[in-house]
Amino acid sequence: MSYLEIDNASVSFGPVSNRTHVLSDINLSVKENEFIAVIGFSGAGKSTLMSLLAGLQVPTTGEVRMNGKLIKEPGPDLGMMFQNYSLLPWLTVNENIRLAVKTVFPKLSKKEITEKIGHYVDMVKLSHAGDKLPHELSGGMRQRASLARTLSLDPKVLLLDEPLSALDALTRSELQDQILNIWESDKRTVVMITNDVDEAVLMADRIVPLTMGPKATLAEPYLVEMERPRERQTLNDHPQFKRLKSEITNYMMGISKDSRETRDDITPMPDIRPKDFSLPSAGIRLKNKVSQPTSAA
Amino acid sequence: MADTPKDKIKYGLLKFIDLSGFKVFDPPVRLAFGEDPKKQISEIGKFMILPIIFVSLCIFIWSAVAPTHKTKSGAAPTPKQVWGAWEDNSRFGEREDEKLEDYELSGEARTARITEVESRISELEAESLKLEEASTIAAEKGAAITAKQIAPLSAQLDELKAEIKTAKASRKIALENLAAKVAAGESPASSVLTLVQQQSETAEAEKEKRKILDDQIKEIRDNPPESIKAAQLAANKAADEIQHFKKRLDILNTSNKEVKKAALLAKVDTDEAILAASTDPSEIISKSKSIVTNTENAASVDEQRFAPTATIAWQTKRSLATVFVGFLIAAIVAIPVGIMCGLNKIVMACLTPIISIFRPVSPVVWLLIFQIVVGAFFLPDPAKHPLFTTLNQDYWFGWIKNPIAFLNTNPAMIFSACTVAMCALWPALVNTALGVSAIDKDHLNVARVLKLGFWARLFKIVIPSSLPLVFAGLRISLGVGWMVLIAAEALSSSDGLGKFVWDEYQNGSSQSFANIILACFIVGIIGFFLDRIMIILQRLVSFDDGSSTA
Repeated sequence: MSYLEIDNASVSFGPVSNRTHVLSDINLSVKENEFIAVIGFSGAGKSTLMSLLAGLQVPTTGEVRMNGKLIKEPGPDLGMMFQNYSLLPWLTVNENIRLAVKTVFPKLSKKEITEKIGHYVDMVKLSHAGDKLPHELSGGMRQRASLARTLSLDPKVLLLDEPLSALDALTRSELQDQILNIWESDKRTVVMITNDVDEAVLMADRIVPLTMGPKATLAEPYLVEMERPRERQTLNDHPQFKRLKSEITNYMMGISKDSRETRDDITPMPDIRPKDFSLPSAGIRLKNKVSQPTSAA
Repeated sequence: MADTPKDKIKYGLLKFIDLSGFKVFDPPVRLAFGEDPKKQISEIGKFMILPIIFVSLCIFIWSAVAPTHKTKSGAAPTPKQVWGAWEDNSRFGEREDEKLEDYELSGEARTARITEVESRISELEAESLKLEEASTIAAEKGAAITAKQIAPLSAQLDELKAEIKTAKASRKIALENLAAKVAAGESPASSVLTLVQQQSETAEAEKEKRKILDDQIKEIRDNPPESIKAAQLAANKAADEIQHFKKRLDILNTSNKEVKKAALLAKVDTDEAILAASTDPSEIISKSKSIVTNTENAASVDEQRFAPTATIAWQTKRSLATVFVGFLIAAIVAIPVGIMCGLNKIVMACLTPIISIFRPVSPVVWLLIFQIVVGAFFLPDPAKHPLFTTLNQDYWFGWIKNPIAFLNTNPAMIFSACTVAMCALWPALVNTALGVSAIDKDHLNVARVLKLGFWARLFKIVIPSSLPLVFAGLRISLGVGWMVLIAAEALSSSDGLGKFVWDEYQNGSSQSFANIILACFIVGIIGFFLDRIMIILQRLVSFDDGSSTA
């Protein structure tokens, strides 16, 4: 039973004469409480795919459905966490979350709102920075604040658009664990976009590669059947992790090569290999070359 | 990092300095708290001492050059003269305030003030007498010195005059002799012409010589020793002071509010007595009339105000009020319209031609248009228009003291304010539209995800995000408004700094030029502070670290 569905969708921009087909023939079905990772190269149309799911972008053809109902516009049920945090810079972390909570749950009392804010800020471990403005926070903290805001909407589907790609490696793994913890304690449907194979294998139930654009489409998914919770420390030695990692990496490298070959705007580079780079002989040859024209003259 | 209270004060101060844009004061504050003294002293040297030296140099050059430039209203004023103008104007202002106070005084306070003023006058008169004497002595001494200096010159002059006289006589004789010879046919006629020419040249040269001596004497006479001038100035100042106190006494004794009323009422009483006893019909009529008018006048004394005199402080306040009103109108119109333009491309397209055409129009043209168009609302008698009667009332609803009554609002002020508004409108409008249309798309997506309604989106997302640019626009607007205002006031004769400059230009007294320069500095300094205030506001609404706003 699929909860979130994309049915033969395609997205194109521009006038008929000069149309850019970003996505075509997209088919995806996500089960309830499933964690899906979409992996693709930058520029492939990942964010467009996410906008499609969030209802921010209407498909040119095809349909996007949640729980059998057509998604026509964005809403708090589709909790989108944006790539560049998109926290409102004039509001503190708490105020950012308050705005979301107050708008989505207008019937809550002041006390309940404050409790809810506290709950989500605690969840992402930001209680000490609740009164800070976004520009006073580090990238990781901003992303956590953004996550708290998205979670505070209590969305049925959590859409994570490259949530961690702007972060350094250490913060990144810390946040991966946090997101997994939160998801495991409070299961819901998650679609995450990423460009990191390790991250995808660590976190997702299913990994769907997005082929290179233009006319990007979703390839055959890889099932990740490792038991949860997954231990980061031991994961590297897990046979399935190794297998999936190499398979997906190979596949991605393959489509990237394919797309390079099919693209005709790239001038093929000459296949030349330098014969000799050793310094002394090169120096001598250079001297000879310089002296040649003078002797000819 | 543990912050001691001292650190807190330091960083608080530094933050305020940064916020208000007075970065120059950063090193002294750091130095005062003992932070890296070597570096701070070098910074102070570079960014405080050198600028001070440079400005002093400019002032020095000004002092040196100004006296050499003679204009139709005297030599250009030196910094010292401008400072003198400032002092004179402040003294004038203080005196006007004293007079106003005297006018309002009543009862014992008034009698106490009278004795105070009288004793001061006698003091001053004694002092003045001494100064007069000193001045006379100085003048005599000066005259002696001048006479001594002139004596050799005038002796020389007399000598020269005598010489010229004899030379003239001998020339006359020579000419007559030659003419006789020509008549007798002994010489050619042309020789007379040559001689006449020669003689006129000699006479010319003599005149020149005499003029040089005359000028030298005049120079000495015109520039009596400094001591005379100083003594005379001191005496004049004392006389001036006495005159002021006498004027105050006059106000206290005769034109004081209470006195005036009492005098009128006393007159009414005597008239009534006469009326009761009178048998003459014409006298009955005239006394009755006089009683009625005097009673009316006595009642109206309460409403009368001491006519405000145009002191520079008052003119400045009026200018500030005018620019504030104009700026407020501009902001009230520009911000909503700018938001609409930024939100909706069709509105923007509709307004673009209007903005493009009217923005470059000169403030002078706007002023004239407003004088005609807005002036029509105040017809037939502007002084009796409800707007002005309300704004100039002493009390609103009989008991709220009107804080702006002293401004003496009039149509010219409204025209000036409208002109300011018209010219200040554009930068605020354009910047607001820009700020609204440049809003981050991600923030709008947040609004879409949260399903914010139009008004919530406007007030929670659009306005906060465009505020920094709105304030940047308002800052430009206020600067433009202040500049336009001075011109508008000069042209519309609306009391204010602009009119002050214009009046000074027109009346051309010895101090006018210095007063104009003084007004120039006042306008500049106020403009500077207005700009600073706007910068602080702009930084307060900026949500980033404020580095984007200079």
